[in-house]
Amino acid sequence: MTPAPTSVAARAHEIRRLVVEMALAAGSCHIGSALSIADILAVLYGGVLRDLHGRPDGSSGDRFVLSKGHAASALYAALATVDILDPHDVVAGYSQDGGAYAGHPERTTPGVTTSSGSLGHGPALALGLALADREDGTGRRTVCLVGDGELNEGSVWEAIALAGHLALPELVLVVDANGWQGLGAVADVTDLEPLDAKLAAFRWDVATVDGHDLDALGTTLAAAAPRPRAVIARTVKGSGLDFMEDTFMSHYRSLRPADRERALASLERRRAA
Amino acid sequence: MRDAFFRALAAAGRDDPRVWALTGDLGVGLFDEFTRVAPGRFLNVGIAEQTLVGAAAGLAYAGRTAVAYSIAPFLYSRAHDQVRVDVALADANVKLVGVGGGVGYGHLGPTHHAIDDLAALRALPNMTILTPGDPAEAEAATHAALAHRGPVYLRLGKNGEPSVLPAGHRLAIGRAAWLRPGADVTIASVGTMLPTALAAATELERRGVDAGVLHYGTLKPFDAGALDAALARTPVVVTVEEHSVLGGFGGAVAEAMAESGRPGLLTRVGLADTFAHAVGSREHLLARYGCAPLGVVEAARRGLARCRAVRAA
Ligand SMILES: Cc1ncc(C[n+]2csc(CCOP(=O)(O)OP(=O)(O)O)c2C)c(N)n1
Ligand SMILES: [Mg+2]
Repeated sequence: MTPAPTSVAARAHEIRRLVVEMALAAGSCHIGSALSIADILAVLYGGVLRDLHGRPDGSSGDRFVLSKGHAASALYAALATVDILDPHDVVAGYSQDGGAYAGHPERTTPGVTTSSGSLGHGPALALGLALADREDGTGRRTVCLVGDGELNEGSVWEAIALAGHLALPELVLVVDANGWQGLGAVADVTDLEPLDAKLAAFRWDVATVDGHDLDALGTTLAAAAPRPRAVIARTVKGSGLDFMEDTFMSHYRSLRPADRERALASLERRRAA
Repeated sequence: MRDAFFRALAAAGRDDPRVWALTGDLGVGLFDEFTRVAPGRFLNVGIAEQTLVGAAAGLAYAGRTAVAYSIAPFLYSRAHDQVRVDVALADANVKLVGVGGGVGYGHLGPTHHAIDDLAALRALPNMTILTPGDPAEAEAATHAALAHRGPVYLRLGKNGEPSVLPAGHRLAIGRAAWLRPGADVTIASVGTMLPTALAAATELERRGVDAGVLHYGTLKPFDAGALDAALARTPVVVTVEEHSVLGGFGGAVAEAMAESGRPGLLTRVGLADTFAHAVGSREHLLARYGCAPLGVVEAARRGLARCRAVRAA
């Protein structure tokens, strides 16, 4: 087994490497969507989420809800870097006939809080979890990650409005703002800018951050607020694979065996940078 | 089936200025031809299925023929209240087109599988449900859906299905079709399971069992007459559906059999009240959950054995 990465940067690299290996093994798509959140997950699973292996009293630690479930491979990879899943297992079993890891996360998988894949469910689920934590007085936080295209869903805004009204400080919403969705640029489908002003109008504490700046992500994601906190992470879809970065087709293209060398070389360059 | 649908959609958009096409952020490249021949009548509403169905209904109220397209569960399940109130209750001229009916999006997991759409939509008054069995029939079903006034759910497979219907086959809404006669057992299949039903019949023939295949290219209105004709030949019926065995096609057949007054024995092939949690392609999942041709053969064998046992008793 590969030793657990020690730095956040090493963890980010390991997440990307595993995502690429899973994509190569499965011939599946959604690589761009997984790579755009690799750095966010490295920071979350590198210390921002507390008590990942549970609390001494047996209850769970901070929770993570991957609402954009099509980036499941990144979640499996992140869970593999903290020894909740086995890295060889996830590569061998992701999106394979008879495998253990579906193309979207299922709640039966260790470390997975909610089944997702139907976009727009995460924010309300996270709100419910945060409500329970408020009642229990656990101090636990729930972090929910949505895509920027996913913000089209009305259910997302229902939960945003209610969480703002309830002033739930236990709730953190991270927006993976990579600018792309299923049929094109987010700005061309339903432009939601200025997004920060909209979230603030719903009484959220809002921060915008470079979604690939590990230090800035660390500070921003860990910060506490008296209200629910939204972090708009400006990201690059396909980040780490220079031949796919910021392209629409990074959503649909799959990696072929012939892509292996240039994909891994690109990740190495990214690590050295 | 998907490509066949888009061919028919573009043709309809070219010929009829009332036809609009809406999508919930799906179908990359597939609307290009429609957009070319029907400029201004395509809209990607974004990842917002309730708005997809609601806006389609609004267009229909204003005299348009509105086509709403998405991956099946996001259409009928996510937007079910819009389907129920804005489309079915209003008897609106909306065509709901769900791609990946059943477990077509195999690897993507249960959120992307449509295993309860037939049950959910069959109970809605005014709803017509078209379930083509191969690409040519999907193309014909698209034209039939657009020509029909009122709500239609068109359940498509994903893509790349084999052509299995004979060249002379004609789709008529509300009519099932005999693809082969059979004296021992009737395999009744719906939509995408047709190739499986035909393969099972061939295998049964090899084993000395004469199996007929009755294909339902329309689930609703349900062709009870065809089923009655089947029961007149043989009491043993096996239903085959890419769906839960509850409330969908097997349910419709059970209701019709019970009401027919004829002796009959039903065995249902489909998901046995379970989500397809296993990971894999459509073919993998169908085999895993007993819905491959051999599963149908086994169901026929069980049905025949039970029938013999009942008669002997
Ligand atoms: C309810 C629902 N509708 C449609 C889809 C199909 N779909 C999967 S990913 C995607 C685009 C997502 O865009 P975004 O949220 O920006 O995520 P990104 O891939 O850019 O990370 C769509 C439309 C879905 N999974 N769920
Ligand atoms: Mg996006």
